[in-house]
Amino acid sequence: MSNFHSSQLSQRDSLLRRLLTLPIRHLQQAVGSLGDLWRTPFTSVMTVFVLGISLALPATLHLFVKNAQQVSEQWDSASQITLFLKLSVNDKTAQNLVKRLKLYPEVSDVHYISAKQALKEFKILSGFGQSLEYLANNPLPATILVTPTKRASQADAANELLAKLKQEREVEQGKLDLEWLTRLEAMAQLIKNIVSGVALLLCVSVILIVGNTIRLAILSQQDAIAIMKLVGATDSFIQRPFLYSGIWYGIFGGLLSWLAVSLLAQYLTGAISKLADLYQSDFQLQGLAFSEALMLIAFAVLLGLVGSYISVRKHIRVIEPNAD
Amino acid sequence: MISFKDVNKTYPGGFLALKQVNFTLDAGEMAFLTGHSGAGKSTLLKLISMMEKPSSGSILVNGTELAKIKYKQIPYVRRGIGMIFQNHNLLKDRTVFDNVALPLIIEGVSHKEIKKRVETALDKVHLSAKLKCFPHMLSGGEQQRVGIARAIVNKPPILLADEPTGNLDPKLSLDIIRLFEEFNAAGVTVLIATHDLGLIARMRYRTLTLKEGTMINDGIIEGLSADGITPSGTSTQGAMGE
Repeated sequence: MSNFHSSQLSQRDSLLRRLLTLPIRHLQQAVGSLGDLWRTPFTSVMTVFVLGISLALPATLHLFVKNAQQVSEQWDSASQITLFLKLSVNDKTAQNLVKRLKLYPEVSDVHYISAKQALKEFKILSGFGQSLEYLANNPLPATILVTPTKRASQADAANELLAKLKQEREVEQGKLDLEWLTRLEAMAQLIKNIVSGVALLLCVSVILIVGNTIRLAILSQQDAIAIMKLVGATDSFIQRPFLYSGIWYGIFGGLLSWLAVSLLAQYLTGAISKLADLYQSDFQLQGLAFSEALMLIAFAVLLGLVGSYISVRKHIRVIEPNAD
Repeated sequence: MISFKDVNKTYPGGFLALKQVNFTLDAGEMAFLTGHSGAGKSTLLKLISMMEKPSSGSILVNGTELAKIKYKQIPYVRRGIGMIFQNHNLLKDRTVFDNVALPLIIEGVSHKEIKKRVETALDKVHLSAKLKCFPHMLSGGEQQRVGIARAIVNKPPILLADEPTGNLDPKLSLDIIRLFEEFNAAGVTVLIATHDLGLIARMRYRTLTLKEGTMINDGIIEGLSADGITPSGTSTQGAMGE
């Protein structure tokens, strides 16, 4: 016991040394909290499953929106502007117009249908073949189908392009069926909003689930927390393992949701390919990209951390040591 | 150093636990705190360890005015006080080593240093062979000694003990008090709350006596025999102010 107290200050670790040991202590507490989860397997697994499933739902909806966008983009690019030329415009003038139109930066493709060709197609499609033989003149105008570029396919841009094309002197009338495009966009927006709403609700529920699990863990260790406070532990020292538990829940919940979404995508791929074949489409279901999977896990970690933080802030401070 | 100046403590509901308590315990001093159950011993210790706040008055511990410190500062002040409890307050799911190491882990001491200091502290209380045991595997006396090792492991300048010999036989009680004497000899301020007047009589240290929250005696209690009975035949109650 000699010199037990006299060199007390000099014996204490330097600040620098403590700072150096800080990451090690964090690592120890992180591993320790993983051990705590391992010691309560039923609760831990249940919580991870609830988190995983809760996150899998918005992730699946995200996948749905992502694939729907892919489909709608294909439709967008297929949208065309129909230009009806004046009856006085002959084939040569029309061909010149086609050349001019191809120079438009907003135009991807131009297809010319002469008046003669139009009448021929009309005869076949309308079923009035015989009757049309009696017409003295071809009443149909020559038509140009203009396919805008991807950027110019959006409703506003397509409208602007139509207005520009109508300025061409050979053009009698121009048509762009925007209604279906607007409806599609509105529908996509609605789905996005629904996904956002559902995701928000599920995120709140994830935070509450983690918060409640951590609350129960805190209550079960109330005595130990009181003892730690008695021997000089700060609230942040006591909180740390619980915060790490929240992070672990997030990591495992995120991984589980990724796995669930991937399995679901895998399961649906065959059926969707079959359906796409029926529509002569080469559409393929896209799963979660690696970056999206990482984002999902990071988001799950964030939610776990927020849930545990709210819980520890609320419950640890009120636990007071008692010597009795 | 511990200093109480006009300290009052009233619990919610109006119970006055301490009334105008004044005393100073200098650095390196050792004293007993005695009184009957409900006299205010535990309240006084709780005030020093900041488990309770005084209703009025001033408490200085290691130069810090406890009435003025903020919540966040409390842990740092507690690190300068080693506390020993009758019920030991050990973490049941941790080994003896982990229990004793706790204050050092909290302070962020290196692993190597923790090992060294824990082994030294356990050696002091003669429990080196039990460092891998869990508290339930130890006797009451051993658990008490683990509590003592934990209280001294970070070398605090003050040691507070609340009935440290309450559940122990006389020989073990004396051993533990000898241990406190050893720490005191090394400069640690020691305050031991006990109602064991026999022990107080044997040790003959300064004794603070509380009765119904009031300090009725401060000094060495004279006239007590080793068994806590005065030579004239009056019971220990006389020494406690009854």
